[in-house]
Amino acid sequence: MMAGQATSAREYPFARTSPLEPPPELAEVRDAEPVGKVRLWDGSSAWLVTRYADVRQALIDPKISSDTTRPGFPQASATAVQFRKGQRVFVRMDAPKHDAHRLMLTADFTVRHVREYRPYLDAMIDDLFSAMEAKQAAGAAVDLVQDFALVVPSRVITRILDLPPEDSEFFLDRVKTSMSLDSTPEQTARSGADTLAYFARVIEERGNGDGQDLISRLVRDRVKTGQLTSEELQHILHLVLVGGFDTTANMIALGTLVFLQNPVQVALLRQRPDLVQGAVEELLRYLSVAHHVAYRQAKEDTLVGGQPVADGDSLIAPLIAANHDPEMFAEPGRFDITRDARGHVAFGYGIHQCLGQALARVELQAVFAKIFDRFPRLGLAVPFESLRFRNSIIYGVEELPVTF
Amino acid sequence: MASKITVFPERCIAAGNCHEIAAKYFDQDPEDGTVLLIKGDVEGGDEKTVDRAAATCPVAAIEQIARVS
Repeated sequence: MMAGQATSAREYPFARTSPLEPPPELAEVRDAEPVGKVRLWDGSSAWLVTRYADVRQALIDPKISSDTTRPGFPQASATAVQFRKGQRVFVRMDAPKHDAHRLMLTADFTVRHVREYRPYLDAMIDDLFSAMEAKQAAGAAVDLVQDFALVVPSRVITRILDLPPEDSEFFLDRVKTSMSLDSTPEQTARSGADTLAYFARVIEERGNGDGQDLISRLVRDRVKTGQLTSEELQHILHLVLVGGFDTTANMIALGTLVFLQNPVQVALLRQRPDLVQGAVEELLRYLSVAHHVAYRQAKEDTLVGGQPVADGDSLIAPLIAANHDPEMFAEPGRFDITRDARGHVAFGYGIHQCLGQALARVELQAVFAKIFDRFPRLGLAVPFESLRFRNSIIYGVEELPVTF
Repeated sequence: MASKITVFPERCIAAGNCHEIAAKYFDQDPEDGTVLLIKGDVEGGDEKTVDRAAATCPVAAIEQIARVS
């Protein structure tokens, strides 16, 4: 790398100045140099892509790879390198192998299929709310993260995979450790290995059964037929876990917080319950919790936003940058549940767009259809300034003490 | 003017956006979630919704072409 290049380029990732808003530097570079070079923690450089149209173009370009085994593939930190290195799964593959593996799972995540979870979700959410009420009545502090936000997606995922719900704590701990950028690479590696070992055992156990759960069917239809190795399936299940737990839990907690900071929007949603679907899309856009995901590397010469990008160049296309581009979303910093936010790329774009997005939507719609009606006086039990936010591949809040 | 929908199922990765946005025109194959075109001729007034489904598709597997009838 040339010395001049290293000194002139900005360092990425940029820092936030307000916990619920994107780093202001993203807007500055979008205006000044929409596809421009930044410098990463290890001294390498990458193209940072910040316009909505360019982010989509970069993520759909077949000349741009997601394969983290490629030399020089960019990452957010040494811990992220470790996490990604451990992911030997289709999110880290390009077409056509990616497509073949992904389509082994998609039947279980179709819109039609996941909507069948709604009655189960509604009943579960009512029960959790009752438990929160009982807890508060008994004089105990209620943490919306532990008592609610984490529980909803973990119950759904353990149900889909037919795992004992009491194993949730183990998963939550391992997923949190493996994805946190505050973990050491060794901690991330150990957490990933623990989860893979757990799934290796489950795959072994279900090999001879006739269970109808997703794991049993994948073992029967894909592993026994030689289409997947047991190791590949372990990695796929790890991905389902990571994708299904952390993202939705953080959206529930942070989404509630965004509403609490915008009481006019709470009142509007209570007045017009039909806005819930749009409200969920706006929360997805506004928060864009999948932080350090759209890291890529060109595998052929290509163009992004008119900028020539050479074979081997690194690219970062932050979803939050696209979702806060004023060209696409007027006044992007305004949280407005009446906005048409459906074109957001909070679930990514291109072949790697979130597999579980329809499930996430059903879960979030179920939550936000109920929470402010059940708890019209829901509020923070601590000052906003005292909340601690998570420096992780997926953005989140550590605790959300509430009263209602 | 009546427009027509073309889908490219070989590109589809079963994200399901099209079915969510325009269920009258798009469904998902129960076998693998990939796109099933239910209706290729767009009814007058639905062009915007179909365009939206096409624009939201993450792999550009949907096209709407305006045809002179």
